[in-house]
Amino acid sequence: MMASWSLRILALLILSYLALPLIVIIGASLTTTSFLTFPPRGLTFDWYEVVLTNSAYLSAFATSAWLALWATVIAVLLAVPAALAIARYEFPGRAFLSSLLLSSLVLPHLVLGAALLQFGSMIGLTRNFTALLVGHVVIVTPYVLRTVLPLLSADQKTLEDASCDLGASGLATFRYVTLPQIRPGLLSGSLFAFITSFINVELSIFNTTSEINTIPVLLFTYVEYSIDPTIAAVSAATIVAAVIAVVVIDLVVGLDFFSDRGGR
Amino acid sequence: MKSAPAVVAGLVALPTAFFLAFFLVPLAVVALASLTSGEGDVTFTHYARVLFDSYHWSILGVTFRLGLYTTVICLVLGYPLAWYLVRMVEWRLWRRVCVILIILPLFTSNIVRSFGWMILLGRRGLVNSWLVDFGLVDRPVRFIGTETGILIGLVYILLPFVVLTIGNALAKIDVSYEQASADLGAGAMSTFWHVTLPLSIPGAVSGAILVFALAVSAYVTPALLSGGQVTVLPMLIFQQYSSVFDFHYGGALAITLLAFTLAMIGLASLVGRMGAR
Repeated sequence: MMASWSLRILALLILSYLALPLIVIIGASLTTTSFLTFPPRGLTFDWYEVVLTNSAYLSAFATSAWLALWATVIAVLLAVPAALAIARYEFPGRAFLSSLLLSSLVLPHLVLGAALLQFGSMIGLTRNFTALLVGHVVIVTPYVLRTVLPLLSADQKTLEDASCDLGASGLATFRYVTLPQIRPGLLSGSLFAFITSFINVELSIFNTTSEINTIPVLLFTYVEYSIDPTIAAVSAATIVAAVIAVVVIDLVVGLDFFSDRGGR
Repeated sequence: MKSAPAVVAGLVALPTAFFLAFFLVPLAVVALASLTSGEGDVTFTHYARVLFDSYHWSILGVTFRLGLYTTVICLVLGYPLAWYLVRMVEWRLWRRVCVILIILPLFTSNIVRSFGWMILLGRRGLVNSWLVDFGLVDRPVRFIGTETGILIGLVYILLPFVVLTIGNALAKIDVSYEQASADLGAGAMSTFWHVTLPLSIPGAVSGAILVFALAVSAYVTPALLSGGQVTVLPMLIFQQYSSVFDFHYGGALAITLLAFTLAMIGLASLVGRMGAR
């Protein structure tokens, strides 16, 4: 059928539109010229070597990685107890707690960054690692909460009760009954949290300095002034890391969400 | 065994304290600053300045126009792509690859993705060389520094959200409705217009509202692709906080954006709930 084929071609065009900038960045990072061009002229990994000897990039990379790691760990420590309370108990303020913890998901990060800068300047918490960290914890906690919460189902509560009745302590029950149940959500939620922190610009940009900077903010400031192939090399490296992360998540939880067709 | 209230208090104390201290209180501080003058008197002058001044009207106009165009284009491109993925792709592995391709941009920084478009849309970028080669234009078109350039970047950044929400809505539609429509003699087109499309509209609308809210609050993409020629509301907010240091006026701008986004999200969840009924 004609319509069917034109739809197929349209879909492939839109998919190429989604892939194009990523391919262009990876291609441009391999050019032998000192300016950015696509298709690349020649083929070299020199720009990656330049990146690996650039201390600004390396320290920003370390900051971003530490920040994402700490933010994720703290987010898990905040989100898992909150998820347990929300899923297992009826208490006043339960709805308030869940919207308090989830709403940073939909608020503009720029507004949150501005708010934390203003509040931080009142309490002396600006432009350092901790100032960055608290903001990142706020934006990544919802990801962990959202993936863990659905796994704390009611029938699993029965298992926990049984474990308690059989004399297991609260902690032992958590370790041997609850944790295995929420592990997939914890894993994918943590990965989402880590990545969300790692790629953030809007929130971090208020509290970064030339001494303490994250990779995306550093790229942002570089791009505003000049464009050279090292920026493409760093960007390409983050794209490759993202591909790996998406494939890992796909293998762990499965991203094939469109396959459950109703009525089959 | 400890009593339930004690257990709950133990579980929620830290998360609540953290989010009150570093989320709710900071936002309250901004709201308060937006309503006070430098001397601490209560005033609405900052909001009056935002809402009744032609400079701000033009910035709000650009911001909303870009948001609206982004949303419409995302819907027009997102619906066929979602349809293709849910209804036409038979090979599971290929669908998986497509889904990864759609999700991948969400895992890369806005800065990286916008940077890709800076390379592509430059005067001597790939897009211009294609346009000239195919004879569509005589001279290279200026994209960077125009609303068109920002629009291309925003659509690119936000398209995955629409494809995912519409795709989920399409996947949930019970095919027996369509079979019934076909059994009753309706053609494929008629079934689509009268059965499938109406059933998928709540998903499309909530996706569209989400995209609109994200588009008007986007900072990185407009900042990079505007080349300093176009200003949108988030750029104005950032200026106030990072270089002008006017927390009162900046606060009024931030609260305006926040209130608008919240209203949009509320609307989206309302539509979503109506669709679930």
